[in-house]
Amino acid sequence: MNGDADGVTDAPAAASPRPRRPRPRPAGRAGGELLFRLADDEFVHAERLTEWQIYAPTLESDLALANIAQDEFGHARLWYDLLQELGYTEEECIWRRDPDDWTHATLVELAFADDGWGDAVVRTYLYDTAERLRLEALVDTSYAPLADRVGKALAEEDYHRDHAVSWLERLASDDDARARLQAAVDDLFPHALSLFAPGAHEDDIRANGFRRASLADMRAEWLDTVVPTLEGYGLVVPEPDDVERPAARGRDRTHTDDWGDLQAAFTATHREVDFDRPARLRGEEA
Amino acid sequence: MIWEVFRQEKPGDYHRHVGNVHAPDRDMAKLFAQIQHARRMQTNSLWVVPQEEVGEVDTEDAAFGGRTDKAYRWAMTYNDIDSSFAQEVEDSEAEQREAARKRREQLESEGQR
Repeated sequence: MNGDADGVTDAPAAASPRPRRPRPRPAGRAGGELLFRLADDEFVHAERLTEWQIYAPTLESDLALANIAQDEFGHARLWYDLLQELGYTEEECIWRRDPDDWTHATLVELAFADDGWGDAVVRTYLYDTAERLRLEALVDTSYAPLADRVGKALAEEDYHRDHAVSWLERLASDDDARARLQAAVDDLFPHALSLFAPGAHEDDIRANGFRRASLADMRAEWLDTVVPTLEGYGLVVPEPDDVERPAARGRDRTHTDDWGDLQAAFTATHREVDFDRPARLRGEEA
Repeated sequence: MIWEVFRQEKPGDYHRHVGNVHAPDRDMAKLFAQIQHARRMQTNSLWVVPQEEVGEVDTEDAAFGGRTDKAYRWAMTYNDIDSSFAQEVEDSEAEQREAARKRREQLESEGQR
């Protein structure tokens, strides 16, 4: 899966050489890592959620989940735009990026189970709870361009969490549906733990004041929220430190097999059409 | 279960019926209505109302406005009047407003006692 077409035309290649950006300084590398973690999570999570379009249980739940996916794409836009201010191009961020360079948590890349509405509900609950903590830890960031954007993203998160919790509550009240939730918790919880795995520049992210909370503290707070909530709905949550962790951790750029399929699917049009520049939806700056 | 949705654009406006949503209960109806009926429109407030709670009377049940000629209700008499007459009408209305205000004040002061 490389960028080469069949060589049928002699039109200028899409991947024409671009001047290389200067190598980022350490603070830039830490900022880049922080932004890629945020952006990749949002983009990949949203990409998976769109698979529910026309398949969700009702028209209303379909629209609600699609709208949540759009919100998350919008958040990804915020963070990828900041990366472009650091010198990355849109193609480098998304369309022509090596799948082995992505740093999202494996939770968001997994394919949904066949009858996976319970999977979607548990996944969005685990993810959105983590996202709120993560954004709150960025409210006081020393990275000014980031601070401006965090509030907007946070304002949209309440709905996401209300939506996930409402569904959890209703599915948990039915024995069959609760069994599906349990299966989803068993499948997803080990992968969700990777949300809080550190990257190579974690120390610099903290030393520069980019994020005010440590990943360990955020993980503890997340567990303090999700474990009692899920248990309150009659679900069994594995002991976090005893759980068998998947080999792929996501944050270290290792991924599950599901990721390769997903990445190939969402970049297919870009490769086939061979854009000079990627199409961009209108953003806040457009 | 179907919930009828009413959207208010600005504070003080009436809530106007904009459609409905399927939802198992009020909380979910409120969540769904936000997406389906407010995400692209200026919205200050939404109401969701169980469809079965809506009382209806339609043209089969009622002859709205009656069936006889109600032309006498059109106050055409006043279309062609001189200004002195209009002054008389205005004075009379002002008197009635004043009387109504006094009644209201009296009721309020009685209520406070």
